[in-house]
Amino acid sequence: MKFIARKPREGINVSDEHPLVEAVTLIVGLTAIFIVIALALIFIIEVALFFVPEKTEAELFSGWIPDDLVTVSPADERLEQTQRLVERLAGHWAETPYEFRVEIDDSDVANAMALPGGLIIVTKGLLDQVESENELAFVLGHELGHFRNRDHLRALGRGLVLSLFFSVITGKDVANLGISATDIALRGFSREQEKKADAFGLAIVHSEYGHVNEAARLFERWDAADKNTLAIVAYLSTHPQPGDRVERLRALAERDGWRTDGQVTALGWQGR
Amino acid sequence: MHTALRFGLPEMEGSFEQLSLIVNIGLPILLLVVAYLIGSVIEKRHFQSIRKREDDVHGFPVVSFDTMPDDWNASSSDMVTGSIVISLDYFKRVIAGLRGLIGGRIKTYEPLLERARREALLRMTESAREQGYDAVFNVRLETSRLANAARDGKGTAGVEMLAFGTAVKLANRIG
Repeated sequence: MKFIARKPREGINVSDEHPLVEAVTLIVGLTAIFIVIALALIFIIEVALFFVPEKTEAELFSGWIPDDLVTVSPADERLEQTQRLVERLAGHWAETPYEFRVEIDDSDVANAMALPGGLIIVTKGLLDQVESENELAFVLGHELGHFRNRDHLRALGRGLVLSLFFSVITGKDVANLGISATDIALRGFSREQEKKADAFGLAIVHSEYGHVNEAARLFERWDAADKNTLAIVAYLSTHPQPGDRVERLRALAERDGWRTDGQVTALGWQGR
Repeated sequence: MHTALRFGLPEMEGSFEQLSLIVNIGLPILLLVVAYLIGSVIEKRHFQSIRKREDDVHGFPVVSFDTMPDDWNASSSDMVTGSIVISLDYFKRVIAGLRGLIGGRIKTYEPLLERARREALLRMTESAREQGYDAVFNVRLETSRLANAARDGKGTAGVEMLAFGTAVKLANRIG
């Protein structure tokens, strides 16, 4: 047998596809698959919501408070006044199944949130920032709108289902890109929910005061303070930009012929 | 759980959210790009070096027969080995991890293992030639995975590729 020296042949064991092509295909493709699965899970949540009536939810979560909530002293006069304001506003939502409870989160960041069982949490920072009862009423009306649209359960259900789904793949520590992309894609839904809650909040304020003057003042101040917003930030946000919200509220008031002037009610704790 | 329904305030949306997005998306992408750029330069250079050295040892018989061919007349023999430990870069690992979700050829690993095989064979061949041997037969390749201590041995720090065979000095040159 004759020995013939040959060089190793190339291209047999190595794919000639460019690695970047594979990377882009995989990242884009998997993100698309993640989004589809996430949407399917969200659809399941919608179906589940249909089978859990509001009354059941209200009973199930009555008296529930998140463990990690740090509340201010119950003696704070603002707690009782905010509670009374919520009850007055909720009076305009005739068939509400909830008994709304207010808690004040001892945080300096201005915010408010709606939690299962009719629990509305406002932060100390928010109460420090609002300058009139009308401003606060709109924030509370907005949260009532979340209850009305059952967004608080959607958020809970989505968070739960998505974290379960993603915990299956996060172990691989590489799926984070797809997860973040899915998260961002879903923020469009969140922004839609916020718009609807804004509209409901404005209607509540109008029913209470007979006008919508100063309802959007909080956003106007935030918008003035935050002028350098990039288009990308708007897309990445869970909430619409304050300036857009002001404009949408103004358009809503104009459409329904609501007065935008009128007597502004002072806050009980600021009156003195 | 509490995040989705917040009233939405600019400070949080503005800075905290953006920061977390930068960390969650920007950082991995930056790492991917850097790892890809560095990794592909290293890989290109390694292949260049492999091809050049393969030209140098061209003609030196390296065969996988487990018995010596009949017309070889060996005067002395010894075992020769060549081994390389090679690691994956972040880019390769991420892409392979994504591939692991749906299956298929892990194309980013293929050139890595090709480099390892050829480098191990080269080192074995070069070692045989340096010691004055004329040929190597019964050549075998073995791979072992090096566990990553940092993750309880679950991750892969790299692979070792070992080439070994029986080097012989021949009384008669093979032509």
